[in-house]
Amino acid sequence: MLDIIEKLTQAFGVSGNEANVRSIIQDEITDKVDEIKVDTLGNLIAIKKGKGNSFKKVMLVAHMDEIGVIATYIDKEGFIRFSNVGGVSPYCSLGQRVAFQNGTMGRIFYERKLESLKDLKLEKMYIDIGAVNKEEAEKIVSIGDTACFCGGFELQNGMVTSKALDDRIGCAILIDVINHFPETENEIYFVFTVQEELGLRGAKTAAFSILPDFALSIDTTDTGDTPECKAMEVKCGNGPAIKIIDKSIICHPEVRKGLQKAADTIGVRVQYEVLEYGGNDAGAIHTTAGGIPSGTLSVPTRYLHSSIETISLKDAEETASIVRELIKGSGLH
Amino acid sequence: MDIIKLLEQLSMQNGVSGFEKQLSEFIASEFRQHCDEVQVDHFYNVIGLKRGYSTNPKKIMITAHYDEIGLIVTSIDEQGFVKFSNIGGIDSKILMAQEVIVHGSEELFGIIGAKPPHLLDESQAGIAVKLEDMCIDLGMSVESVKAKISIGDTITFKAYPTELKNSLYSSKSLDNRSGVLTLIMILEQLKGINHRDDVYIIATVQEEVGLRGAEMVAYSTKPDLAIVIDVCYGDTPEVSEDEAFSLGKGVALGVGPNLHKGYTNKAKQLAEELGIGIHIDVNPASTGTEAWAVQISRTGIPTVLFSNPLRYMHTMVETLSIKDIKATARLSVELIKAGVIN
Repeated sequence: MLDIIEKLTQAFGVSGNEANVRSIIQDEITDKVDEIKVDTLGNLIAIKKGKGNSFKKVMLVAHMDEIGVIATYIDKEGFIRFSNVGGVSPYCSLGQRVAFQNGTMGRIFYERKLESLKDLKLEKMYIDIGAVNKEEAEKIVSIGDTACFCGGFELQNGMVTSKALDDRIGCAILIDVINHFPETENEIYFVFTVQEELGLRGAKTAAFSILPDFALSIDTTDTGDTPECKAMEVKCGNGPAIKIIDKSIICHPEVRKGLQKAADTIGVRVQYEVLEYGGNDAGAIHTTAGGIPSGTLSVPTRYLHSSIETISLKDAEETASIVRELIKGSGLH
Repeated sequence: MDIIKLLEQLSMQNGVSGFEKQLSEFIASEFRQHCDEVQVDHFYNVIGLKRGYSTNPKKIMITAHYDEIGLIVTSIDEQGFVKFSNIGGIDSKILMAQEVIVHGSEELFGIIGAKPPHLLDESQAGIAVKLEDMCIDLGMSVESVKAKISIGDTITFKAYPTELKNSLYSSKSLDNRSGVLTLIMILEQLKGINHRDDVYIIATVQEEVGLRGAEMVAYSTKPDLAIVIDVCYGDTPEVSEDEAFSLGKGVALGVGPNLHKGYTNKAKQLAEELGIGIHIDVNPASTGTEAWAVQISRTGIPTVLFSNPLRYMHTMVETLSIKDIKATARLSVELIKAGVIN
């Protein structure tokens, strides 16, 4: 699983520009599924066909996109002003390297006249690509180009650190489920979505086209295990987290029960997640077309939306195991 | 029908947004007494159908949400005090020194304690305590708390339903169990009426967290006309008169871009003809009710909004007038009789 996590996290895929990530996933799974297609918005939908005539349609979702920045203005000295794509903190952006899709590297810094970092805002910051003037900059970067944060991949003490673990780890887990696919009658839709970070947009249209019996999103969640952080019970390394609630969804009781049962069956310890902010793809899915029972299994992640997102590899592996067990059964409904 | 008794039963039962399953059974059993068909969907929206006489009927959908605001367990500390977050809009000021019920493996009584005034220094006195700094005391050992309560269990407020003078009534969750009572009253009145259109009477879930149940049922029901029944602000000192309506004077009829002009005018005309009291409730944009979600379902649904004025919204002492509920039920029935405009 490590190789694919590295490959996926290090790829470029700012919301709305997910093609690189999508083609890595296509290369990995095309031979292993019964059907695969890319829909109008760019979601990648892979199907393992159901057997018999009473199978359930199960939608498993992970989003391909990552947060980033977008060039809005190039000044006459060749410095690029930018805005955020998704939730970008000015503090986490300071002193970071960014990469445009064409490989152009930039450095983010701030107007040095700023007296207090409390007043730091993205509009007081810029990207330096080393161009000497506007003309030179415009040869390699255009207004509207997006760039992702750079954040190398490393494994240390069982913890994986990289940019974009939110939510390439979810993509890696779904690929792992395909690679080690369990015996099941159910029809499984593996959906790698676009534009989650802009408001759960890809998942909405994918859910409408599939109309599954139930849906499960695999995503990252915050933790409460770092010095002086906001209180939260979820800890990195304590197992996958069954989401109860976030701002986009109250997870369906039957899906939560199904996840708990699957975890108990294979002897994996889980945590319960009450997230007081944020949303995930299941939020857009569950209100679709009259209502689709949905839930989320989260990989606890430190330093979300930064270039050093950090997870426990064991949590990710156990997440994949629970998903495999869940889709075997007909425990729901 | 004993209106007061039914309102007490509805308000005193528990159904925090997303955790409505138990209450759905009670509401479904009430609906079954009056409907041709009752279904409870995957999310516990309770959908009653009262058929019209037409062989090619149009559909009128009437919704009232039955979820309530509440709290959710976020952690249990080493001494067994329970920390919590909110589900739906709650001002933390109203929580201090309140009684609650924690819905663990059994129902547990708890109190949200407050620091004695003697121990508050000048910087703390008179200042609202933040929700994250409060905790629930169950008077139990940490071991038994952890054995009976899990992260994610819901917490509801303990309320003492009371009849006040002049047909006023006070309890928790009248937002919007008063709407559910209105639905049942509509059903009862429809019994003696030969109406043309099919009427879908729906008690919805998860309104307080984003109009989610209404979004689902509007899609699955696909009505030709929707009536949303909810509460609006009742007259209260320090709330401006254009935002709040006096209790006991009738239905607050919503007007604005969120609502259908033709049907709203029809309702106004019917009220005037029949002497049903109305207030005009002006909403320049979102009404903050299910009407906002229903209106843009599928290709668009003509929607009207009838509200019961309510004082002290989102507290344990929500107060309204039984007279207004009766007026809302009656106006709804009259609009059903008038039917879908072809």
